[in-house]
Amino acid sequence: MKILTPNKVDSFFQLLTQKWDVRLPIVLTDGTRVISSLGDGSIALHGGAVSSKPTAAFFPQHSSVFISVNGLIQEQTTPGLPIFVLGFTDRDLECLRFIDRFFANGLRDDIYFTLRSNAVVAGISGYCGVNGALLQPSSGNCDLEFFWDGCRWLIIPYSGAGNEIVADLPDSAPPEAIEAFKKASTALPDENEKILRQASELLRADRVPDSFWSEIGDRCISCTGCNLACPTCTCFGVQDWRSSKTIERSRMWDSCQLDGFMREASGHNPLGTEALRTRRRIHHKLAADPEKWGDISCFLCGRCDKACPTGIGILAVAKELVARFA
Amino acid sequence: MTAACHTGLYLPIECEILSVSELTPAEKLFQVRRTDGVPLGHLPGQFIQVSLLGWGEAPISVASSPTRNNFFELGVRRAGTLTGAMHQLKVGDVIGIRGPFGRPFDLSRMRGKDLLLISGGCGLAPMRSLIQYCEDRPSEFGRISILYGAKNPTYTLFKDDLAAWNASARFACSLTVDNSTGKDCYSGNVGLITSLIPPLTFDPSKTIAAIVGPPVMYRSVITELKTKGLTSDRIAVSLERQMRCGVGKCGHCTIEHLYCCQDGPVFWLNEVEHLRGAL
Repeated sequence: MKILTPNKVDSFFQLLTQKWDVRLPIVLTDGTRVISSLGDGSIALHGGAVSSKPTAAFFPQHSSVFISVNGLIQEQTTPGLPIFVLGFTDRDLECLRFIDRFFANGLRDDIYFTLRSNAVVAGISGYCGVNGALLQPSSGNCDLEFFWDGCRWLIIPYSGAGNEIVADLPDSAPPEAIEAFKKASTALPDENEKILRQASELLRADRVPDSFWSEIGDRCISCTGCNLACPTCTCFGVQDWRSSKTIERSRMWDSCQLDGFMREASGHNPLGTEALRTRRRIHHKLAADPEKWGDISCFLCGRCDKACPTGIGILAVAKELVARFA
Repeated sequence: MTAACHTGLYLPIECEILSVSELTPAEKLFQVRRTDGVPLGHLPGQFIQVSLLGWGEAPISVASSPTRNNFFELGVRRAGTLTGAMHQLKVGDVIGIRGPFGRPFDLSRMRGKDLLLISGGCGLAPMRSLIQYCEDRPSEFGRISILYGAKNPTYTLFKDDLAAWNASARFACSLTVDNSTGKDCYSGNVGLITSLIPPLTFDPSKTIAAIVGPPVMYRSVITELKTKGLTSDRIAVSLERQMRCGVGKCGHCTIEHLYCCQDGPVFWLNEVEHLRGAL
């Protein structure tokens, strides 16, 4: 276990930029707290989970597939430095584990793994949540973890790359700091997880009537905020951008809450109503993914519930669903 | 944030158009060959992503059998921007392709069985791949019945093929159109494709049916087949969805937990009939 004192934080990450493309929580000039490159704003490790999806480090909103110049497709080189990204909460790390498996399954998605391979992922935990609230430590499913004990960052490396990054930091954690970490690591029961599992069981047992989805769909304004904030949403569209000499094919996040998401050239639209689209969003996470992967693909990060202006984030819908049909 | 990456999975392979012929006022048949000379390597029922630089990609079923020559054929309906641009192409033009993708017809389970091959509209394009395959390997399959329904005589696809199959002792062909104006020199059946099923006689225990057509066709055809005693494990359906990536990642073609581009597009009916929105 290593120690990073608050006065050494800036210099520590600055030094890392020699070998890594460093991404970490910062505050932009407009006050938004996001995971971005060092230099885009001042470092802001405190404040809990960032509002945008941390998995965007490896599945960005917009990715180039290729560029064609005068009709010839040009191979593109990989980014210069491997990514170091800090800011994944324990729930975000579960989301990353899920989409790692998704993109590796079957035909391996090489756009995703160009960024993901050789990357170092750092979790964040401890008493650095909103107003000093505790962020639960991870289960060690990252390269290293930054734990705020109230006075300093304790850094726990879990992989060879993680060890290498913190090799030069002092490792004289005081006993009370180690005790704080152990205490925080004791998982607390989460009532919301129980609700999500109940909702999942109801959906898989087909005990939720269509009228429920009509009600929820009526409250959806198709802003797509839920999808754009969700760390396990991986849907994308593909489009060509034309300029005078070049054509860029790229992929961009898409949303199953949009009418055109599944509409076919023939006009047939399997998701032709807001009720069907809302059902798809919830059902996909709580019923379809458990069927395919054995896991509910919502890890209760809370982003869609915060993003939704009409109160139909996944937890809100799950609570309503359980209250009415359990 | 834009990421620049090299990728093989999403890079199109260059192909040359060998011939273009008009099937109907809205559909053209393209004969295509990979410029590197490598065969496509597909099986009946699979599709490819056709890529036109500046227009993007669209999923198109392969309309020819792998048993035929060193080229493949695509029946393309002009339905969107990419297919509209494709209809402007001519012999010698270059297109890109990715694939073949998806689960083909289950030939191993079809071998030795009588086959009912039922298609509607441009569903005859992927079905043609299977029909040609059966035509080229006659010893592998039992009696083959082809049922095809088109909107009207003008929009009947592969008229020459249909005439040849109709004349062949190898096939029993039943054709119909939804509407005929009387001015189109048409003297065949008029009615929905479901009207072709009741007169058929077949042994359900020795028969497998395959269906490819517009979404509206499936339920009614399946009902007729079940009335004849065919069970869901003997009915194969090829489902149309908007496959954007073809490799099970983009999410546009999901049917509950299934990805149509990888788990399908050909499914056994008992795998999907209970899934919301599948049919």
